[in-house]
Amino acid sequence: MIRLIRELYQYRGLLLSLVQRELKARYRGSFLGFLWTFLNPTLHMLVYAMLFTVVMRQNIPHYAFFMFVGLLPWIWFASSITGGASAISDRRDLMTKVRFPAQVLPTTVVVTNLCNYVLSLPLMLALGIVLYGQWPTWHALFFPVVVVIQLTFTLALTYIVAAINVAFRDLQHIVSNLLTMWFFGTPVLYPLTTLQDETLRTAMTVLNPMTALITSYQAIFYEHRLPDAGPLLALSAFSVMLLWGASMIFEARREDFAESI
Amino acid sequence: MQESMDAIVMQDVVKSFRKRTIRGEYTTFKSELLRWLRGQRRPREAGLITALRGINLTIPRGKTVGIIGRNGSGKSTLLKLITGIYTPTSGNLQINGRISALLDLGAGFHPDFSGRENILINGIILGMSRAEVRARMDEIIAFSELGEFIDEPVRTYSSGMYMRLAFAVATHVDPDILIIDEILAVGDEHFSKKSLAKMMEFKKSGKTIVLVTHDLHTVDKWCDLAAWIDGGYVRRMGRSADVTAEYRQAIALAESQAVVFTPPALTEGGGALPQVPGTPSAPPAEAEAPVRLTGLSLVAPSGEAEPFSPETPVEVLVDFAADARSEDAEFEVSLRDSEGKPLYETSTRLEAVSLPRQLPPEGRVRFVMERLGLLTGSYSVVVTARASGGISTESRAFQVSAPVGERGVFRPTHRWVVEPAPVAQQVVSAMASGNAPRAAGGGHP
Repeated sequence: MIRLIRELYQYRGLLLSLVQRELKARYRGSFLGFLWTFLNPTLHMLVYAMLFTVVMRQNIPHYAFFMFVGLLPWIWFASSITGGASAISDRRDLMTKVRFPAQVLPTTVVVTNLCNYVLSLPLMLALGIVLYGQWPTWHALFFPVVVVIQLTFTLALTYIVAAINVAFRDLQHIVSNLLTMWFFGTPVLYPLTTLQDETLRTAMTVLNPMTALITSYQAIFYEHRLPDAGPLLALSAFSVMLLWGASMIFEARREDFAESI
Repeated sequence: MQESMDAIVMQDVVKSFRKRTIRGEYTTFKSELLRWLRGQRRPREAGLITALRGINLTIPRGKTVGIIGRNGSGKSTLLKLITGIYTPTSGNLQINGRISALLDLGAGFHPDFSGRENILINGIILGMSRAEVRARMDEIIAFSELGEFIDEPVRTYSSGMYMRLAFAVATHVDPDILIIDEILAVGDEHFSKKSLAKMMEFKKSGKTIVLVTHDLHTVDKWCDLAAWIDGGYVRRMGRSADVTAEYRQAIALAESQAVVFTPPALTEGGGALPQVPGTPSAPPAEAEAPVRLTGLSLVAPSGEAEPFSPETPVEVLVDFAADARSEDAEFEVSLRDSEGKPLYETSTRLEAVSLPRQLPPEGRVRFVMERLGLLTGSYSVVVTARASGGISTESRAFQVSAPVGERGVFRPTHRWVVEPAPVAQQVVSAMASGNAPRAAGGGHP
């Protein structure tokens, strides 16, 4: 794991340039350009907001804002995993021609999506302020902590998926379907408290790492309180272990990458 | 590390690949599941393709080394091992110095980005830091000769412009060891001259260059040493002219023996080319032959040095040693082009040259050509002494440089005459050149 991270640090210039390029490339040639960073989640949110407030008549105050708080970090997570799955297997041109640490590629995907997330935060805050008068409170100071935990967790998972997908291409399809199920098993569209069943609630908190993260974001921005320390601490320990395991898998497979692609 | 004289040292390097199944190139969920259900283990050994079977190669610092060999003989695999893209299955590989590999031009180019932006990414991928790329940006742009196109998206470039840009970045990395795979001839005449000049600059500044190419002429001209990879081993390593000459002979021999050219890695014994008789790798045949060639040189009696001109009289001097069994000996002379294709072959038997019944124990055969008659290019002369007890071969490469830019291979004795029509009959017969009828037709009465 140390080696993995040290190499990433050595190649930070490449990482930085690739992230820059991805950010630019995503919207290059489109008329609205960078605005799509905001428009995409907004449109996404409008669909769900319609569904839940008009059709299903959920009674949650400031529902659109509530959902936005959880949806944005979920998009970061989900697009990192789906993008990361093919990050190595799609770059035959690089992997078979140049020598550089392969972990740069999935890391680029995760960091690019993180940038997108951070860039869409002002829109989220503006929405809360303008529509509902929800000014951010001092609790937002804990926001970076949650982001770091999610970054660690996402990186670990992306490395595993990217490494396995090189030899086992079905994974990218399996992953994108699993993510849809995962999404509905995570309290993004509904608050965790709306679940009546106590055991189900506990199971979701314990078994789904994303629950701890999403509820923390909701606590910080929507409920204006400190996130629950217990699940977050457990998750950070779990994430570091997962990253360690992921780097083991990655190290074991990396020599095959150039040959298997 | 610093004081080591060798840039690259390879010891018994073996590289094998797992063979993919015929039906599906990748492991899929279905195939994994089926195998798991049937309780089969992954067939480890059965599906192995061994590309390199034990490479021992030392590349000295500051030398330009050409790597030659048939398609699929493992040259590119070797380069990928040197650059670290592949790891050897077994064996030792030691690299001293920063490597830059030009295996593929334009790695990581993004079509929607401008040339300038791509220089940055490509340069970093090739091992420069951001600051280094920025510092060399103007130099790279100047070298690529793209002018104002540098700020246009790369997808609008012509293929020549694309290659020029990629080559410009790749050669500005400033490595200790430069690895090149078949890409010296980039762009038009002017740019490839410039590329070669850049290579020369690398060479002069004491960089090590490893070059894979099929262009033997390039190897003869630019490389100090050559390594011939054949059947997964280094068949021969030595002075480039010697190695390419033997390689050409082996190819010619394989063609004459109608050897089936199969993918080498799949063939028993690595699909090695046939042994050229009389080469150092086949010493027994040499030692036992009744007539052994001990020396071969090309001399112009006028004292002219290589490259010869087409009109130069040239003698091939063949020194030999013969023993008592040499009654039925004959000498063959073969002039070949740079690919090893025979241009002219003759022998003492064909021309019924009378040799002494018993050859002297040590003697010399002179093959005297009144004029060489060949045009600009590199050629080789191969002399073979045949007797019933064995054969012995020597070869030597030479260069010809014609003062006039004629095209073709040989230069017949000729002159030009233009005359009025009535004597056209004689004009044609008087002219050896094939252009005669046109020349005569042009002169209307």
